[in-house]
Amino acid sequence: MTGPTAGALTGFTVLDLTQGLCGPYAAMRLADAGADVIKVEPPEVGDCARALPPFTDPSTGPSNDGAESAIFLALNRNKRSVAIDLDTHTGRYLVRRLAADADVVLEDLGPGRAEKLGLGHSRLKADNPDLITCSISAWGEQGPMRDLPGAELVVQAMAEYTRSLGRIGDAPIRLGADVANLNTAIFASQAVTAALFHRLRTGKGQRVAVSMLRVLLHMRGIMWAARSDPDFWGGFHLDHYVNPPEHGYEAADGRLFFGLRRASSEDFDRLMIDLGLVDHIADDRFGNFGRDAAPLGRHVEEAREVWEEAFRQRSVEELRTLIQSAGGDAVGFNDYPSLFEHPQIRALEVTTEIEHPTAGPVRTLRPVARMDASPASVRTPPPLLGQHTDEVLDTVGVDAAERAALRAAHVIA
Amino acid sequence: MTAILAGIRVFDMTLAAVGPWASKLLGQLGADVIKVEAPEPEMSHQIPPKVKGTGVLYISANFNKRQIVLDLKSEADKAKAYRLASHCDVFIQNMRTGAAEKLGFGYDDIVAVRPDVIYVTSTAYGRVGPMASDGGVDPLLQAFSGFTSVNGPEGSGPEEGGFEMFRHLAHLDITTSSNIVEAVLQALIHRERTGQGQHIEIEMVTAALALQHTKLAEFFATGTQPPPLGSASTITAPHQAFQCQDREWLTVGVTRDEEWPAFCRALQLDDLAHDPRYETNADRVAARTELASTLAARFATKPAAWWAHRLTQAGVANSRVQDFDTLRHHPQVTANQHLVEIETPHFGTLTVDQVPWDFSATPAGPVVAGGLQGEHSAQIRAELGLDDDANGAAP
Repeated sequence: MTGPTAGALTGFTVLDLTQGLCGPYAAMRLADAGADVIKVEPPEVGDCARALPPFTDPSTGPSNDGAESAIFLALNRNKRSVAIDLDTHTGRYLVRRLAADADVVLEDLGPGRAEKLGLGHSRLKADNPDLITCSISAWGEQGPMRDLPGAELVVQAMAEYTRSLGRIGDAPIRLGADVANLNTAIFASQAVTAALFHRLRTGKGQRVAVSMLRVLLHMRGIMWAARSDPDFWGGFHLDHYVNPPEHGYEAADGRLFFGLRRASSEDFDRLMIDLGLVDHIADDRFGNFGRDAAPLGRHVEEAREVWEEAFRQRSVEELRTLIQSAGGDAVGFNDYPSLFEHPQIRALEVTTEIEHPTAGPVRTLRPVARMDASPASVRTPPPLLGQHTDEVLDTVGVDAAERAALRAAHVIA
Repeated sequence: MTAILAGIRVFDMTLAAVGPWASKLLGQLGADVIKVEAPEPEMSHQIPPKVKGTGVLYISANFNKRQIVLDLKSEADKAKAYRLASHCDVFIQNMRTGAAEKLGFGYDDIVAVRPDVIYVTSTAYGRVGPMASDGGVDPLLQAFSGFTSVNGPEGSGPEEGGFEMFRHLAHLDITTSSNIVEAVLQALIHRERTGQGQHIEIEMVTAALALQHTKLAEFFATGTQPPPLGSASTITAPHQAFQCQDREWLTVGVTRDEEWPAFCRALQLDDLAHDPRYETNADRVAARTELASTLAARFATKPAAWWAHRLTQAGVANSRVQDFDTLRHHPQVTANQHLVEIETPHFGTLTVDQVPWDFSATPAGPVVAGGLQGEHSAQIRAELGLDDDANGAAP
């Protein structure tokens, strides 16, 4: 796409050597913004994410043969796929040829490994002086764990995340979302985009790096300040650490969470009257116009039962209206089915559908930011393995006869 | 070495976490971020814990910026603010829907004084729909966005300890911030190429959904809610925590088929590597419960340190469960300077997270503590001539 509605990164080419969740998601965010992303996959099995369940139901596809990984489909739209074996000398040579024409190379091979394969920044830069390379690692490029692979739970556990769920001493609980991978992908996309901006202004490329551990520690930045040398050890950042798991408050038809951030005296009195909690207006625990007793307040645990007794008589929607009228906010807990039924989510049009050649229609989330001059977009479905090998290698002068020979030698597919 | 965003100025009209964190990151990339504060201190000053009297949220969300107090409800200060805006490439606000417009600082108002501005509207639930004017902070978004629906012990639902919130209450705030930063960087590229600014809209709820991209993919493909599995993964196996002989929990993750034989060797369970029930990742996920019970029995025979050593030698991802104190001084954290200590004028020595990106040619940071409320007011007013024009017209 070109013209006034093209994404901001239109015209840039990204050679993506990554697999799994993090790198491919970073590359997809660049692709959504308009970049031409060429995904390099191993010829036999492709990106390891192609093997992740669940798989689409073959019967929904046009030819009943398309059981595709839902995870792979979610992370690889707007890309082209080239199957090249990086374990072969010739394969690496081909990748260097592609890198010579690219603006960005994204890799997650592990610290030092790209260099060993002759695919490191300094080697690639010889044929492409203003190239930007982005390296993603699990733990950082130094230190005793640098060569250890990362895995979502393992990074979460290392970064303390499993201690912020569950009960101390019980079996660890993880965040179900793949935050180590996906939060890191956003920072990788930022790093590449920032480096592209710098190159536009100065003509100079560079190497950028991000790690999952660094990103997860960044996400807890408030905690590091809180634990530096607090005036007193208190407040929810510090107290919550030993609190029981938080599941919100029980209402008549589900659970809800609320806050009383802006409540005034009059609002608070009215709320307590409406909830039948008049006796607690003067309750010390409900000080600060109820804020002390509300979530994040210092008496939240002692007051929980009082609130719940009143909430159990009313629906989530009724409570949302009541609490809002008292200068607070309240929402119900959603699971995915209820979330996508919700009028707010419908109004935001958060999903779109793309037609995949074998899996058929695939529902996918739209890009997050709405940019009125350079909108990100969903343009093409996730590629089949090696779907674009011919057209991409053609651009670097590998002709049909050479490709046939390379295929026969299992260097490409 | 010039910083990436050298020469880019940001008008930061933000409160609490989402907006301030975004502009902080732009400051760490080298932008001159000017936080415009109301005369009454924002609430994040007051939320405990505090360090030397200032709330830690205010401290940590406002590194690498300068602060000026302007009363946007007074005509005189409003004129100064417009003049300031005319000097700014980027404008960020995260007020409730409609509030910035009401103050006279909506997109149209700012474009009038700075035609190529990159203007960010950050809301909780968007500017359309029945919740357009609802306020939102991290815990509310955790509940609403489905983020908690995949957290909890295996087999748990709403009544059995499922739908568990992440006790660190800022993750979705900062996730939203990082989406803002990415979009602003894209918009700067677009402006560099075309001279054109633009309006960017970002909702916390959409950012929260994007963070669940892989979980939602399961839901979209199957039509079924992916269940919470305690520490286990729904898409790879073995990928969970096991309790070892010394009662310590060790987390392990086999995420690629080629790691499976190495994992089996490390556990001295070579037969498993050839067991057809567990041949591929999809097989192991399907037989997860059965496989986990075999592995749990094995892990229970030796201490965590023993297994950690063997798995590390075999190149299989593993870690014990760290807490903040063990993490703070972990050799991996120290070696990479993932956390650093900085000296600050107002808050003493602070431990801070290092800037999240390493740039070889244009290093970001260093992390510098911001000031107290309005600390740089006089400096900024003089530097940008905010008091020069009594009429407040843009130059």
